[in-house]
Amino acid sequence: MKPLSGIRIADFTVHNAGPFCTNLLSQLGAEVVKIESAMRPDAFRKPHPVYGRMGPATFDQVSSTKLSVRVNLKKPEGIALAKRIVGIADVAAESFRPGVIGRLGLGYEALCAVKPDIIMLSVSSCGQEGPDSHFAGYAPLFGAWGALSDLTGYPDGPPVEMRHVMDHTVGMNAAVAVMAALMQRRATGKGTHVDVAAREVASSLAGEALLLAAAGGTPARMGNAHESLAPHGVFPALGEDRWIAIAARTDAERDALAKLTGAATLCDDAIAAWTSTREANAAAAELQEAGIAAHVSWTTPEIAADPHLRERNAIVAVREPDGTARAAVGVPMRLSKGAEIGIHSGTPKLGEHEDYIYGELLGMDSAARKALEDAEVIY
Amino acid sequence: MSETVLPLNGLKIVAHAAGVGAAYAARMLCTLGAECVLVEGPGGSPLRAEPPFLPRGEISALFAYLAAGMSSRVIGLASDGGRAALGALLSTADIFIDDTQVADRAALGLDEAAIAAKHPDLVHVSVLPFGATGPKAGWKAEEIQVQHASGEGYLLPNGLTTEMFPDRPPVKIHGHFGAMQGGIAAALGALSALWVRPQLGGQYVDISCQDAMLSVGAFAIQRLGDGSVEHRVERSFRYGGVIPCADGYVELLTLEQRQWDGLVKLLGEPEWALDPALADSLERSRRGPVINTYIRAWAATRKVEDIVREGQKLSVPLAKYYTPIEVVNDKHEKLRGLFQPVPVEGAGLLNMLVSPFHFGGSPLRLRAGPPALHKAEDVA
Repeated sequence: MKPLSGIRIADFTVHNAGPFCTNLLSQLGAEVVKIESAMRPDAFRKPHPVYGRMGPATFDQVSSTKLSVRVNLKKPEGIALAKRIVGIADVAAESFRPGVIGRLGLGYEALCAVKPDIIMLSVSSCGQEGPDSHFAGYAPLFGAWGALSDLTGYPDGPPVEMRHVMDHTVGMNAAVAVMAALMQRRATGKGTHVDVAAREVASSLAGEALLLAAAGGTPARMGNAHESLAPHGVFPALGEDRWIAIAARTDAERDALAKLTGAATLCDDAIAAWTSTREANAAAAELQEAGIAAHVSWTTPEIAADPHLRERNAIVAVREPDGTARAAVGVPMRLSKGAEIGIHSGTPKLGEHEDYIYGELLGMDSAARKALEDAEVIY
Repeated sequence: MSETVLPLNGLKIVAHAAGVGAAYAARMLCTLGAECVLVEGPGGSPLRAEPPFLPRGEISALFAYLAAGMSSRVIGLASDGGRAALGALLSTADIFIDDTQVADRAALGLDEAAIAAKHPDLVHVSVLPFGATGPKAGWKAEEIQVQHASGEGYLLPNGLTTEMFPDRPPVKIHGHFGAMQGGIAAALGALSALWVRPQLGGQYVDISCQDAMLSVGAFAIQRLGDGSVEHRVERSFRYGGVIPCADGYVELLTLEQRQWDGLVKLLGEPEWALDPALADSLERSRRGPVINTYIRAWAATRKVEDIVREGQKLSVPLAKYYTPIEVVNDKHEKLRGLFQPVPVEGAGLLNMLVSPFHFGGSPLRLRAGPPALHKAEDVA
């Protein structure tokens, strides 16, 4: 059984962080109604030249397993329609810049008026309150504000920008917060407004370094080094741009590593001399067999083809609209009583599920829907 | 926010955590209001010996951060008495989080079947680097392996760093990013299983830090399906990214037309930027390296704070690269209550990050600092 069966989410989120949150919840069984319009379609329905994608995506991970309806939020009737969807939802999720959803007439108080126990999730760069709350931002900015990027990189180089992992960890954090709010609602009967600040998620992933700084220490970029593990690093393997990550924690591991590599004195150069003559995956298996933590620095195709990840449903096969298979990422867990979790449908077409949402759930007849379409409210 | 209104008040968690992933799951749930007991062996959790350490002492900043708000019970699971003591704890718990290696579980009474038989309503969460099942379930991993086994390791660094050091190996994300993704997924799995407990009873949740790290790196798999194999050298933004300034770095990323228009104004509407061809985002993408040359030259003589302040006024996504101490002292975060002074034994009162969540307009609050290590309980 999918654990969140019966939960419905009105999904106003855009870009990556918020949509990833609702995607995870949809894979866990929540019915997620993606709300967009032809005027403001999801980013994946458009070209994305900054990332080098010159056309719409045929499959969008963060939109999969969601339902789609069209609502034009630029019109008062569209706001009224959106409220009707919220009225049959448990959660309303949004990721506009703070203030925008309120100005649209869909702020927390307005939604409570139509659904008193609604849980509203707001995901933003800097949170709903505070002097920087109006700042615009994306994943690399979250990491920059949160100090995670300042701590990442070579000691003699600049900070390293975080990419989509930053967006998506914000989304996964937000999913935890939504579940906590649902548990609270079950216990108290009350909804709440959950505010997730992406830059604070970045900081929370470096909480120990921030504590060290607060105590007067000076955490800094370390490259691939570790404060106490040695050897610890990324070593070249046979072939172009092939690498193996190796770490030793104990003397026994260091002894095993020295024996395997034939190093009279265990050092990075000696390890590299051994690894650079070996096929990466074979070397990693040999190291693991000797009890040493090791793994190849895997390329994306290697990950997509990995039997371990496939067996765990961490990588799953999904179908393009033309029927061809491609790899996608499943919700990262296995439940002993929830084998059904995961991606069950691809990117919905814009407005694909209006018969169900507007017809079955909201009880709108075809004439009412036609009138709203003619008025460019369902648009 | 008073303790009585924390969202998970009333939940009881038992964590047997030697690694960051399991401990981080427990921390998240504890910070959200659950009561969490950390079960440590007689020598204390191995996390107490993990760096970084606070200045002038041997106190682990990592342990202090992860265990804040928890209580501690020191129980040796090698003895029958110890296992009985843990069993008694679990009989009153809602969630059990454990990262014992699968091969060692049966001897300690911690295997899935034994826990389910004795505690049928318990949500039993396993957190391991590669999960509890699958061909690599027994593989060893530290943080650096988790990051490289899930793909993001191969894709970093990017942008300015790869321009400066094109021949260096990939570089990992700071700290325990991958293990923490496992912890976040574990918290999500635990609460999802708990949500459906009235219908299904307890169940077993198998979390792999590799899976979790891969899931947040899903965009690389998305791109693979779109026909592109990402590589750290090519994964730079066509323009923007890490921009060196006179006194530090800013991050710049303009994805929307109005943001580009704002950037042009910020730059003072130079002639090159007013080229009509650059009104087309595809053309800007093609000319990215040239655009970046102009942006970097402009920024090199300006201060970070000035650029961010003026740029954000124009809705240009710009951020300062903060250092850790700048985050701790940041007025925005002070106002939002991101940090809370908590006692850390041997180090005094320290400002500790609480949580990135606000509920009902208020930040969460830590119950306490990290627990002291007590003597082992006499459970013979």
